Amino acid sequence: MSKPLAILENVTTGYFSDIVLKNVDLEIFPNDFIGVIGPNGGGKTTMIKVLLGILPLFKGKVTFPQGKPNMGYLPQISQIDKSFPITVRDLVGSGLKTERSWFPHLSAKQKKQVNQMLDEAGLMSLASKPIGELSGGQTQKAFLCRALINHPQLLILDEPNTFVDKGFEQELYRWLKELNKEMAILLVSHDIGTISPMVKTIACVNGTLHYHPSNQLTEDLLKVYNCPVDIIAHGPVPHRVLKDH
Amino acid sequence: MSEVFSILEYAFFRNALAAALLTSLLAAMVGTYIVSRKIVFISGGITHASFGGIGMAYFFGLNPLLGAAVFAVLSATGIEWISQKGKVREDSAIAILWSLGMALGIIFVFMTPGYSPNLMSFLFGSILSVGKAELYLLLAFFILTLAFFIVFFRPVVYTAFDPEFARIMGIPVAFFRYTMSVIIALAIVISIRTVGIILVLSLFTIPQITAMLFTRDFAKIIPLAALWGALGSLAGLFFSYFFNIPSGAAIIFILTLQFLILKGFVMARNFFRRDEKVIT
Repeated sequence: MSKPLAILENVTTGYFSDIVLKNVDLEIFPNDFIGVIGPNGGGKTTMIKVLLGILPLFKGKVTFPQGKPNMGYLPQISQIDKSFPITVRDLVGSGLKTERSWFPHLSAKQKKQVNQMLDEAGLMSLASKPIGELSGGQTQKAFLCRALINHPQLLILDEPNTFVDKGFEQELYRWLKELNKEMAILLVSHDIGTISPMVKTIACVNGTLHYHPSNQLTEDLLKVYNCPVDIIAHGPVPHRVLKDH
Repeated sequence: MSEVFSILEYAFFRNALAAALLTSLLAAMVGTYIVSRKIVFISGGITHASFGGIGMAYFFGLNPLLGAAVFAVLSATGIEWISQKGKVREDSAIAILWSLGMALGIIFVFMTPGYSPNLMSFLFGSILSVGKAELYLLLAFFILTLAFFIVFFRPVVYTAFDPEFARIMGIPVAFFRYTMSVIIALAIVISIRTVGIILVLSLFTIPQITAMLFTRDFAKIIPLAALWGALGSLAGLFFSYFFNIPSGAAIIFILTLQFLILKGFVMARNFFRRDEKVIT
């Protein structure tokens, strides 16, 4: 087995003085496809921020045995101001990390890269449109392109199935399966029902983290893991999160 | 028409024209950032806080614009700091700053012995009295801002749009956000001369929303806003001269009229386009 891409060891962190995550351990290997589930406020997004290196740790450490990997990140779309005047092409271009980041225009090579990415995702016809004019699925796709354009070794997706219809969800999961051949994927969702058939393993995050080395999870195990997510409700049924006892 | 050309022979009017033009070009860049980031209210707070600096400068016998600049920069960076820490209700903090600045300004102006003849010109602008030195200052600041926007265009847009992602990409987000706060503060203070404290923000927003009738691309909003801003300011300046009304009010009135006319035009165009689609 190859060396892990990233290791979280005994990580404790939070915001200001509030602890959100406590003593979290996780290893991410090159071909992993980890579904991260847990209730709202349980620390899923916080764990992502630790991995991305934008949240200081109170305790513990994050190491990258193969050197810091290229990471692609798709934030929660609800965090984004969709009325900001930026075109799909510029959005995708903003994911490029290259030598010319200080100059007003992308190089010819970078433009080609952006076009290739848009072509692959079937967004070419929308390239000059502002992101505010896209549908939910198209928006997710555009942000996924921004995450992918750097050829990440680790792709981190925060709730990519919000604001999208079923058809797009299926397309997204087919796409992710394909991408998983080349990169590790960390998929955060509050909806275990939809993600469990496609992920390889599951991490339950609720203050702490419980790693489950398969994608089959029973309600009993969730209780043991202290991870109160609803297993049955998904799809059109409004999502229900069980309260802690 | 000959009257229009005859006033161009006066140096003060040529200065005013240059000031109006430069101010609208400067406001086109800075205002696009303000409107895109939805920080119009913050900018209003900065503008009115600067009045405290004007009053203080009067009291101590300093250059009022210097006082305004110090107050504006301090409040701009202060608000950016508050919003990054996220611990205080930002809108309330801005409202306090807004009214406190005005209160301080009035207190100090009234404590200053003698009459303050230029007070009205700060509130409503007095572009016809802009001198050569102020014009050069405006030109220098415009060139600096233009250079900053050209060299750092992408990081400026990225840090405005999605600061968290920009940080992950290794862009020094804090540097760009604070630098833009300072640029906003100084741009506002410099423009106070043209349209006055009460109206200055319109110069940073109306040309932008006019431009956004036609495009939703940051890079294209700037030149379009420059065009509408310059046209409106120049027309407003002639209007103010011939009807003998304060330049700021005249400019803002023309800018708004221009927006409404173009908005009507765009709505009519969309209406007829929809009709075409039905037919075909």
